[in-house]
Amino acid sequence: MASADGGAYSYSLTVFSPSGKLVQIEHALAAVSQGTTSLGIKASNGIVIATEKKSSSILIDDSVIEKVAVVCPNIGIVYSGMGPDFRILVTRARKSAQSYWKIHGEYPPTKVLTQEIATIMQQATQSGGVRPYGVSLLVAGWDVTRGPSLYQVDPSGSFWAWKASAIGRNMINAKTFLEKRYNDDISLEDAIHTALLTLKEGFEGQMTEKTIEIGVITVPTQTELEAGKVEGTGRYKPTFRKLTEEEVRDYLAL
Amino acid sequence: MSIMEYNGGSVIAMVGKDCVAIASDLRLGVQSLSISSNFQKIFPVTDRIYVGLPGLASDVTTLHEQFRYRVNMYTIKEEREIEPQTFAQMVSSTLYERRFGPYFIEPVIAGMQRTPSGSYEPFIAATDLIGCLNFAKDFVVAGTASSELFGAAEGLWEPDLEAEDLFETISQTLLNAVDRDTFSGWGAVVHVMTKDKVITRTLKGRMD
Amino acid sequence: MTSFYSGPGFDFSNTVRNNFLQDRGLPLPKATSTGTTIVGCIYKDGVVLGADTRATEGPIVADKNCEKIHYITESIRCCGAGTAADTEFTTALISSNMEMHALSTGRKPRVVTAMTMLKQMLFRYQGHVGAALVLGGVDVTGPHLFTIAPHGSTDKLPYVTMGSGSLAAMAVFEAGWKPDMTREEALELVVAAISAGIFNDLGSGSNVDACVITANKTEMLRNFVRPNERVTKERSYGFRRGTTAWKKEQIRSLIVSEEVVKHGEAMDVS
Repeated sequence: MASADGGAYSYSLTVFSPSGKLVQIEHALAAVSQGTTSLGIKASNGIVIATEKKSSSILIDDSVIEKVAVVCPNIGIVYSGMGPDFRILVTRARKSAQSYWKIHGEYPPTKVLTQEIATIMQQATQSGGVRPYGVSLLVAGWDVTRGPSLYQVDPSGSFWAWKASAIGRNMINAKTFLEKRYNDDISLEDAIHTALLTLKEGFEGQMTEKTIEIGVITVPTQTELEAGKVEGTGRYKPTFRKLTEEEVRDYLAL
Repeated sequence: MSIMEYNGGSVIAMVGKDCVAIASDLRLGVQSLSISSNFQKIFPVTDRIYVGLPGLASDVTTLHEQFRYRVNMYTIKEEREIEPQTFAQMVSSTLYERRFGPYFIEPVIAGMQRTPSGSYEPFIAATDLIGCLNFAKDFVVAGTASSELFGAAEGLWEPDLEAEDLFETISQTLLNAVDRDTFSGWGAVVHVMTKDKVITRTLKGRMD
Repeated sequence: MTSFYSGPGFDFSNTVRNNFLQDRGLPLPKATSTGTTIVGCIYKDGVVLGADTRATEGPIVADKNCEKIHYITESIRCCGAGTAADTEFTTALISSNMEMHALSTGRKPRVVTAMTMLKQMLFRYQGHVGAALVLGGVDVTGPHLFTIAPHGSTDKLPYVTMGSGSLAAMAVFEAGWKPDMTREEALELVVAAISAGIFNDLGSGSNVDACVITANKTEMLRNFVRPNERVTKERSYGFRRGTTAWKKEQIRSLIVSEEVVKHGEAMDVS
């Protein structure tokens, strides 16, 4: 029982139920499914990740809310679930990407970074005094060995690669919609439109550049790859970027 | 006398046409007393990377083990082989970690780097003992005979040497340089790497 | 579990051994240093930075064409003199921190931010991290130019020089600098200052690197002037094949060859 290191309170809050379930993780997933819908689609020449940005009151200044985040020049993430938890994970992911860069002189491959984030999320299911993260993530990235890849990470710390996936509220419907719409040689432009159409399905209110956030991975061309680093910077051209409000508006107008 | 001269030894690497070469002497000594004429200073890292570690003999072993560990961890974690450029960066950061208590080793790296088009191009690099990288386009040298090697290589190296010609040039550069260094010599070994094979030759050298 | 990444900061576990060896009369070997001439000057539309390209190890030229103008952000660059590894890693660390800063604030980072990060780090190490820097760039508040000494002190001036060739370069600046120069005038002055270092200071040599930074563009002019080009050799010094006597040869093939032997009848898969 009680011991010098904190006793019973140092036990993990995540404890197996007799049926073998981790109820806290299921509750975390419930928190995720209350969050706004986010989705990702892998195209032949890139990846799109998108989410709806909903504020509870018209009085909120939504220009400072950021749901699609740049981790490093080749990786971006989006979440469904609890905003504050996401912010912590973004900072951790960015730090991890930077320490990888300081050792290897290049940014981490998508899989390695996803694993790092997944490890952080797993640790919260097994440590004392903490609760699991209340978010699911979609990680989109490009690297030279594996090309474009899209991963989903859940509160349990498990992760999978997807061709297209959706998380958050309405995810079942959104996934069914994506299954119907998806094919392997969809272009990035088409994927962005499909993403918007999918979000539209369960959208309450008006879809505008203020209520939609989009991030894209653009796969470099062979010529760009052979050209290598951008002259005089010692860095490669970023492959992930967030679309500006103007760009989102143009896509919505089409 | 400096710590680098305690055990002696020198390494050189050169770029050729679609090939690289790395060579070292084979001496291990304790100050002026020679102990071994078969002390390995160049180690394979992957199929297409070799690293030369001239300096304090105990650190040769320690750093070789350390690099082996880090490269193996990289291979397992990333499910891919490390590229020479990335390995050089890793060597550099490993050494700089000990900026205020360094290993007495000046690594030399030689390998064939994969290009985006799928071919291979020669890569060489060297660092000082605290990890300052030097990416040269012609040759890099390190060890007790470094000043002799600089002189000899500056005179003998020329661009676009074929593998067999590069072997002669690097061998003659090394042999003649270590003959003017008391701490290096006692035989030499040369590795010449092309995109599809590595030729390793043990040279006949002066044994005094 | 042993982590693949090691913890932050330096590892001092070899110092006891190294001090012991030093006490036994085996001094520390020299690290690569950049004797160096590095300069910077502000002009009408921005900043011009300049550097030579020689790295030295004591009296030996270790690298004839190294890069001393380091990337901090797109519109901030930093020239480094002193211990080469220190300038390389200090600027890389600050570049990394500036990128984190840019991501978390969502703004373009400022030159003073980089300067403050650099001086705080160098002061913390009390001069043991031997980096003497010229930091220049353009941000939302305009063009800025600083020098940062190894102990962490800084200067903000319209024209600055650092490194062993700083006296030669400063002489050129003092004679030729004027306010509100054009890009061409500023670049010409920087080239003259670096050239003064290259030709009059033994720690500096080879080529002139320059970098012109304006509000919306950064031009890295690598090897802008090459006044010390090596002439092609009069004849080839290649050896006849077979010159070198060798005792043992071992060939490692990197091509995986596979022989497929057909065995019996093909399996019925219908």
